[in-house]
Amino acid sequence: MIDALWGWPPPVLDPAGPYSERVTILAWVLLAMALVVTLIVVIALWIAVKGPDSLKRKLGGEKTVWIGGIAFPGVVLSVLLVWGLMMTGSLSEPITGKEMRIRVVGEMWWFRVQYLDNQGRVVMDGANEIHIPTNVPVVLELTSADVIHSFWVPHLSGKKDMIPGRVTLLRIEADRPGVFGGVCAEYCGGPHALMGFVTVAHEPEEWKQWAVQRNIALGEAIEPFGSVDVAGALPVVDDDVPPRIPPTPIVGEAARGRALFMSVGCAACHRVAGTEANGLAGPDLTHVGSRRTLGAGILPNHLGTMMGWIGDSQAIKPGIRMPSYDRLPAEDIAAMAMWLEQQK
Amino acid sequence: MKSRITRQVPGRGLGLPGLARAGALTALALVSACKEPPTTRRMPDSAAASRGLALIDKVGCGACHEIPGLDWPKGRLGPSLAGFDDVGLIAGHLPNRPGTLAAFIRNAPAVKPGSTMPPMPLTEEQAADIAAYLYGIDND
Amino acid sequence: MNSETGFDPALYDRFPTEKQPDEDVEELNRIWAAPKGWGLLTAVNNNYIGFWYVATSFLFFLLAGILALGMRVQLAAPMQEFLPQDTYNQFFTMHGTVMMFLFAVPAVEAIGVMLLPQMLAARDLPFPRLSAYAFWAYFVGGLAFFCSLFVGLAPDGGWFMYPPLTSETYSPGLNADFWLLGIGFIEISAIAGAVEIIVGVLRTRAPNMTLDRMPMFAWAMLVFAVMIVLAFPAVILCTMLLEIERAFNWPFFDPTRGGDPMLWQHLFWFFGHPEVYIIFLPAAGLMSVMVTSIARTELIGYRLNVLALVATGFISFGVWAHHMFATDMPAVSTGYFSAASMAVSLPAGIQVFCWIATLASGKVQSTTPAHFVIGSIVTFTMGGLTGVMVGLVPFDLQVHDTYFIVAHLHYVLIGGMVFPMFAAFYTWAPMTSSKALSDKLGKWIFWLMFTGMHVTFLPMHLTGFMGMPRRVYTYLPGRGFDVLNLTSTIGSFILGAGILLFLFDLARNFRFSTEESAGNVYRGGTLEWLPSGLYSTRSIPVVHSRQPLWDNPNICDEVEEGRYFLPNAPTGTRETLITSPIRAEPQYVQLMPGPSPWPLAAAVFTAGFFLSLTVQAYMFGIFCGVIAVFSVLRWLWETDRPLPDKKEVDIGGGIMVPVAITGPKGHGWWALNVLMVVLGMIAFMAVFAYLYLYGINPEVWIDPPSLGETALIVGANGVALACTWIGRWILKRRAGGYAHDAPWVFQAIAAVILAGSLYLDMTGWQDIGLRPTESGMGAIVFMLMVLQGQVVIISLIMAAYLGFREARGLLTTPTNVTMDIVARFIAYSAIQGTALTLLPRLFLGG
Repeated sequence: MIDALWGWPPPVLDPAGPYSERVTILAWVLLAMALVVTLIVVIALWIAVKGPDSLKRKLGGEKTVWIGGIAFPGVVLSVLLVWGLMMTGSLSEPITGKEMRIRVVGEMWWFRVQYLDNQGRVVMDGANEIHIPTNVPVVLELTSADVIHSFWVPHLSGKKDMIPGRVTLLRIEADRPGVFGGVCAEYCGGPHALMGFVTVAHEPEEWKQWAVQRNIALGEAIEPFGSVDVAGALPVVDDDVPPRIPPTPIVGEAARGRALFMSVGCAACHRVAGTEANGLAGPDLTHVGSRRTLGAGILPNHLGTMMGWIGDSQAIKPGIRMPSYDRLPAEDIAAMAMWLEQQK
Repeated sequence: MKSRITRQVPGRGLGLPGLARAGALTALALVSACKEPPTTRRMPDSAAASRGLALIDKVGCGACHEIPGLDWPKGRLGPSLAGFDDVGLIAGHLPNRPGTLAAFIRNAPAVKPGSTMPPMPLTEEQAADIAAYLYGIDND
Repeated sequence: MNSETGFDPALYDRFPTEKQPDEDVEELNRIWAAPKGWGLLTAVNNNYIGFWYVATSFLFFLLAGILALGMRVQLAAPMQEFLPQDTYNQFFTMHGTVMMFLFAVPAVEAIGVMLLPQMLAARDLPFPRLSAYAFWAYFVGGLAFFCSLFVGLAPDGGWFMYPPLTSETYSPGLNADFWLLGIGFIEISAIAGAVEIIVGVLRTRAPNMTLDRMPMFAWAMLVFAVMIVLAFPAVILCTMLLEIERAFNWPFFDPTRGGDPMLWQHLFWFFGHPEVYIIFLPAAGLMSVMVTSIARTELIGYRLNVLALVATGFISFGVWAHHMFATDMPAVSTGYFSAASMAVSLPAGIQVFCWIATLASGKVQSTTPAHFVIGSIVTFTMGGLTGVMVGLVPFDLQVHDTYFIVAHLHYVLIGGMVFPMFAAFYTWAPMTSSKALSDKLGKWIFWLMFTGMHVTFLPMHLTGFMGMPRRVYTYLPGRGFDVLNLTSTIGSFILGAGILLFLFDLARNFRFSTEESAGNVYRGGTLEWLPSGLYSTRSIPVVHSRQPLWDNPNICDEVEEGRYFLPNAPTGTRETLITSPIRAEPQYVQLMPGPSPWPLAAAVFTAGFFLSLTVQAYMFGIFCGVIAVFSVLRWLWETDRPLPDKKEVDIGGGIMVPVAITGPKGHGWWALNVLMVVLGMIAFMAVFAYLYLYGINPEVWIDPPSLGETALIVGANGVALACTWIGRWILKRRAGGYAHDAPWVFQAIAAVILAGSLYLDMTGWQDIGLRPTESGMGAIVFMLMVLQGQVVIISLIMAAYLGFREARGLLTTPTNVTMDIVARFIAYSAIQGTALTLLPRLFLGG
């Protein structure tokens, strides 16, 4: 599942949205330019060293410098510059206020994801997974809780730094559904190499279902992502919401896991909405069971990996803030993992 | 019976460059090819074994087990699977046979009630491939 | 006929003169002889210092290269454990830091120290003891810094050290302090070298070597040194800010208290991007010289090339923010920096085509230097092109901080600096070794390095496209990077094999010698190929063209027979000819200091001072600092002693010039000016930091102290300024007699007044409740005072030193260099103090 996100074709050359698409065209043109100029220089060098005298004489004068070193690059660079500046302009269109808003906070070494309504209030918390509808412009409000991180989903857009004390804005938009990998691109110490996330683009209908389910499960009264004056493509919560999903009854081992989660210390750092677990230091685990990855985009998420993560997270991702719960018996860890995996 | 994880001092020093699973597999194949296999050892199907290692990687078995040929993760919640084919019984309980192992990998609690190893999101064929890999691990 | 200094160019026609007596050579040998045994460590001659300098920088190249191989092994396959996470993070930080600060900049500076006096036919660089100090400071400090790796205390915040990751909160260990103090210290050494090179190039050229006839390397080194002087202050300031934030909790970069982490990035890259050209330009200068000798013809487009060097230096100061495109700068700014980044590639293109045209116009010899030079042109061009690509903002945002950038910068730096350096090793080793390096082996070395380089870094462009970020200690399996990374690792070992083979060649053939040399193997046309000893050339020739050795086949013999300037030692001590900056007309004979242990002692204790601060051994640090200052003063003590019996000497052909002069013609005046530019740049950067923090967080700004107090401070500084002038005026009035106390006492009064006005300034801010630890404003305002405090302390020491010299009767009338320098420095302090006081008190206050 994760491995399908990368590799060939390279994400930078495989755009999944309007912003990255324009850059991809630019990238191909630039690559072609670089190849042609390299060839010119190599051929010129070959002539200079081994070429016939007639060609050498033509090359061996100051005219070569004027043409090859000044006129030709001057023209090429000017054209590229104008194109690049125009593209920069079009990629940084002003925010209209009608885009979907998601706040992403870089933390050492994971991403806090907060879905906002159009007033900027947090509708739902998540971590390391961003769900967006296709063909809807999304403005990400990026910031950091500690050091500088950088947000990058190559399929969707260029990167943008997440800087403490500032909010930087990044537009993304997907034009096809899919799961797109992302990473932290600014060195942020320790296990920076293992700080990733996934962006999941859904068909708007599917996304609506996803959002509505969670919002209701949260018991929040706020309508998600703006109400009335939101762009037409944006799903609006209206009366025909799907029926509320009855909460899974927690019985047996899972119930024991839930009690353990509260008592052994997990709740001090993690929040699970609707329970007394209210910690804010670590990722919100309200819907952890439905996430695709564990450990900030590095492991598939299922009961087995959840157990391994709780039991010995330091062996999997050394240096992170979460300690290995290696003093607990495996049965207890299994119980907690079982309960967490039910938090869909 | 409660099983406890024994915590080892994590390997912080300079280790040998464990050159990837491809290298490990090649080395494995070479070693086992040169050596007269003892009668108790089952000869692994190498294609299945390499599929198995890829699956181990993908599913994340390493989150709980140290598995030779897998550089990461090396979780310590479950037992290390180094030298697995020399182990007499699976989970100290079941006869160590490929079919049983595959079934155990796929759904441990069903095969051995009370096992803390959870069921894995794998098909029967995939579980069989992983079993093939585990039998191919030569720890001698 | 025109002249710069009133020197009559017709006098050049007197040369070559008669053959001079051979006894003078004995005399020169005696005067310039190097100390024996352990005493050799006190040598200051550039033949030794330059060679040690090059050797040390090459050692760091090897060490940083070994770190790189370690990293490549770790990245050969996903999720390996060859290097644990924290070790890897230290490795990549040290690789970048060592390559940039301990290898690249010192290496080009070292080649300058070694080659420039020879190329300009000077006896030595103008401040030999300063070169010795710069070298030893770098040697001791660099090795101590590198050793932090062995105790796990090496910096691990990346070579760019972005706060807040490197602040006390997120890097509580000593690791970051090693970087900040270690690098801060090595920068001092780089600046010392730059002062030397600027004055050396402008004032110690052979007579009639006008700017238009300088070897291109001298031009490049001139631009290089000017860039160091302008760029390094920025990094000195930002390392000071971060170290003070870490040690004393002044929140320059802490957004919660009105600081801003982006301030670091602006200051760091204001240095960091010119740094790249600081490394590249001298190598480009070497390339131009080598291309000429490879093609056996004049460089085509000499003036365009000079223009390109100067333009590169100029534009490179306007591109720093292209490292920060991803930080959400306004579109106007990114547009400007994008345009400037495109523009800076033009001069590089000019140079590349100058080289190609030169090669085409001559006949290329298939030698090792030719291989490296051509390999360099290809590689550097490719790196330059990816540089153009990342200059475009939308593309940069995709590849920024990925392996694409790793590939780009290694193409530029290896193609633009490392290959030329190896070409230079082969070209100039015969100058300083009794045996040339093997040309045959050299070609093998080239092909190994060239192949290895491309196999390593070409795949990285694609790795970056695939989404692999930089500075990762590992990567997850199944992302498609595996094969590419393995290829890169294999390539890096091929590259390493090339360098290993080079070491073998060195061991087999390189024999350092100051007496005999292997000669002009590649038949260069510039002056370093004149026959020479420790005193450089016997006599200093008149230069009529860019390739004097080609144009006058007899020049070697004529020089050897003493038929040009300074065929002997007219003053009986070490000396060199100082010429005018533009047309290189002989002006006077400079007396030069000889071997001394004090520069070495000063360097060791300066290093001790910084290292003690790092490990927080403050008392020992102060002890080292005092000894270091004493050592510097002690080495200066022996200088500036005019010979009472000789005011003018014959420098050959019956031409009489003065011995040692002061004022704007003197080389000391030039050096002090350069130093004041450095200090001024540091202050200027601090002013920028002040305005920047105000722009970002105006809400923490408070109203300044009263205007009356401000007026008092400015008035006091004005009095101090007047005192420095009065002191010099009195000394001048006493021409012919003794100096007495008044001249130095006035300087001392000036320094004390400056200390007092600084105290007033500080208490004034304290009284209205400003605290350096509480807000960004407090931190930066007190920082301005810290900078002023530094120059005031130096002023006080200088005034006391002046007093000592007067007591020993060394304060000659009507002027002398020491008085000149002290008075002008204190005057500078008064002006700087006034500016730094007025800024926060008047401008934008509140």
